[in-house]
Amino acid sequence: MTSLPLLSVRDLVVEFQTGEGIVRAVNNVSFDIPQGKTIGIVGESGSGKSVTSLAVMGLLQKPAGKIPQGQILFEGQDLLKYNEDQMRKIRGNQISMIFQEPMTSLNPVFKVGEQIAEALRIHKNLSKKEAWEKAVHLMNQVGIPHPEISAHKFPHEMSGGQKQRVMIAMAISCEPKLLIADEPTTALDVTIQKQVLELLYKLQQEYRMSMMFITHDLGVIGDIADDVVVMYRSNVVEKNHASNIFMSAQHPYTKGLLACRPKLGANPKRLLTVSDFMTEDGQEKIVPSERVQVFDKESVIEKDEKVLLEVKDLVTQFPIKGGLFGRTVDHFKAVNGVSFQLKKGKTLGLVGESGCGKTTLGRTILRLVEPASGNIIYDGKDITHVYHEELRQLRRKMQIIFQDPYSSLNPRMTISDILTEPLNIHKIGGSRAEKLDMARELIEKVGLKSNQMSRYPHEFSGGQRQRICIARALMLKPEFVICDESVSALDVSIQAQVLNLLLDLQQEFGLTYVFISHDLSVVNFIADEVGVMYAGKIIEMDKASRIYKNATQEYTRSLLSAIPKGQTKQAPTLTV
Amino acid sequence: MKTNTLWKDAFKRLSNDKLALVALVIVCFYFLIAILSSLGFVASGWSQEVGASNLAPSMNHFFGTDIFGRSVLLKVIRGTQIAMSVGVAASIIAIPIGVILGALAGYFGGWVDDIITWFYTTFSSVPNIMLLISITLILGKGIFAVYIALGATSWVTLCRLIRGEVMKHKEREYVQAAGAIGGGHLRKLFRHILPNVSHIIIINTSMQFQIAIKSEVILSYLGLGVQGEPSWGTMIDDAKLELVRGVWWQLAGATLAMFLILLAFNILGDALRDALDPKLKGK
Repeated sequence: MTSLPLLSVRDLVVEFQTGEGIVRAVNNVSFDIPQGKTIGIVGESGSGKSVTSLAVMGLLQKPAGKIPQGQILFEGQDLLKYNEDQMRKIRGNQISMIFQEPMTSLNPVFKVGEQIAEALRIHKNLSKKEAWEKAVHLMNQVGIPHPEISAHKFPHEMSGGQKQRVMIAMAISCEPKLLIADEPTTALDVTIQKQVLELLYKLQQEYRMSMMFITHDLGVIGDIADDVVVMYRSNVVEKNHASNIFMSAQHPYTKGLLACRPKLGANPKRLLTVSDFMTEDGQEKIVPSERVQVFDKESVIEKDEKVLLEVKDLVTQFPIKGGLFGRTVDHFKAVNGVSFQLKKGKTLGLVGESGCGKTTLGRTILRLVEPASGNIIYDGKDITHVYHEELRQLRRKMQIIFQDPYSSLNPRMTISDILTEPLNIHKIGGSRAEKLDMARELIEKVGLKSNQMSRYPHEFSGGQRQRICIARALMLKPEFVICDESVSALDVSIQAQVLNLLLDLQQEFGLTYVFISHDLSVVNFIADEVGVMYAGKIIEMDKASRIYKNATQEYTRSLLSAIPKGQTKQAPTLTV
Repeated sequence: MKTNTLWKDAFKRLSNDKLALVALVIVCFYFLIAILSSLGFVASGWSQEVGASNLAPSMNHFFGTDIFGRSVLLKVIRGTQIAMSVGVAASIIAIPIGVILGALAGYFGGWVDDIITWFYTTFSSVPNIMLLISITLILGKGIFAVYIALGATSWVTLCRLIRGEVMKHKEREYVQAAGAIGGGHLRKLFRHILPNVSHIIIINTSMQFQIAIKSEVILSYLGLGVQGEPSWGTMIDDAKLELVRGVWWQLAGATLAMFLILLAFNILGDALRDALDPKLKGK
């Protein structure tokens, strides 16, 4: 031991009083954060990692959350003994925090400069002018272009990445000793994620801060953390140097987390998941060697399938309103001349950052949004201008799985109602009992139990809900499914399960997918062919097995380099 | 794990709130009185003389008697019947208008929205009390005119709220998902969106109910309301002459009855909003 750690959490227990009794969210958790070091806390949603950080900040929901046991020592002082006034002096000043959602963490009615200056005026007693100047300086430091002008902007005038930079500027404004970052990059595109991670690393070095970095994705902290704490079901299951975690993880859960993220290049035929490494009750399992075996997509002999979907010069535009009477002054081309062909039984991956038009393209193909020009040819028939009954018949064959499993299920309907609704609309399967049988069969196919069908969506986890969405899309036995960021909202460990499920279903039902994502590694794993979208156009298209090696476009290469490598770049540290 | 519908959850939250439960009991009690009175089980003899004129409250006559020697208590009960019937009638008229217009405006937008928005902004730009008075003057005095007048003025708030909620929900992915499986406009609007905004109807009705009761009292006080029947408003109107002679019990009875039900509805409305509005939930 060289010196006292900055933060030391000892045997921390956090319990919540809920309607169903007391739930232990954090169970005997202990870890140290040394001066100037970064600790990564990794675990899936509900593992207790965010609750731990809230306990450190003294922000647990009162009176439901209680800490019956444990100590949180900050520079040797137990924060749990501090009262609210004392905590307020620490919060934002000595310990500050960055949240996941930059869109909602900023107050929309204040200029961003004012919001950064506010913390400075509260804690450092600076005058209005001094605080504003410091805020501009900070914005320069976090890499916001033209800080003097940008400080006058309102949050809605900035992009997601810029807002997260503003949040970071606010968090470091009082030069805290400890910075807690709670999933700061999860809501961001991969390229922005990389920039934010680099920024955090740079600032941490510059300010000699300690950092507590919380994430569900082991991959992203490789570049940034010195030590890693892995949490699973309220407990710490593994604690080690980052390099040791990545080179030789001990606990089966950690091994599972490392394996479940698809890698650029070759992957096993189905992704490994946590359940391959660990039984339900936490016992280690031997992974069968055929599961690990790398699958080469090039080795598949191409059958000459017919073209199921062809898109020709598709343009979708949205009006830009302006002027005194809200007239349409111009059009924004979200999709600007896209063409491709997709063979039956194959998967086309579409990659690009938010705003590149990939979602609009998907919805236009399904005719949920009307195209301005171009043609959509499905199964040899031009469907660009079919309406009413014909369009309704088309809906049976083409389905979509949305991004957010929380908002895409009607909260007031039971699972059986949700699943039988498509049958009712298209008058398939006679009696209600028959329809329920069809639903039951499918719900078991997607890995849920058929006795859960009388429940409501809010009783399921995110991954389970996405399975329900998949089941609903498949109720009509479609030939073609668009997956619109269908795994982006899920934890990496759940993401692997859902990707495997999609591949299994494709094989069983001969489905054709268009898979939309901002994550090239996911697309690379699931797709046969990959199209890279930028500003409404497909700028590059190639076989998935080739694009990561032979990218011709600068933009594709920047997307590729932004993917977390899942390994450390630093030498092992010497703290114990 | 037990299956709970959102409504059951909401009721559970509501029943944890003791004050709200008391309010709910009071509201139910008023409804019971009103129903019993309208069926003639209680207060049917309100118009009979039970004692001397203007007797002060005593053990025999809890609220005393009025100038004609009639029991003030029975008149208050009769007034309860009028007040509750006004609330119910106003809701029956206002809910369908407000919900349908609000849903259509919010869902379809465009010119439908323009027309409906124009209609309700015009409506709400006229002070309510003016509108009430003019409607009762056109339809003639009496309880029926009060029903129509209150129904016609109280749909505006509901319509505005429903329109906003429907606008928000129609962009949600579950509604788009309903479109993707081939559902039409009617299915999306009535099967998917409306059940998700129905809590607004309940919360708003409990708020509008008390406004209706108050408005009836005001109209009757102005002599535009109920004729030939005791209502809280006419009782308060009578009291302004009696007070000079020290007869305060008629005013006290009517005000107390009104105060209790308005308070109960206020508390219940707040509690319902806490229990039903997903925005205010901890999650």
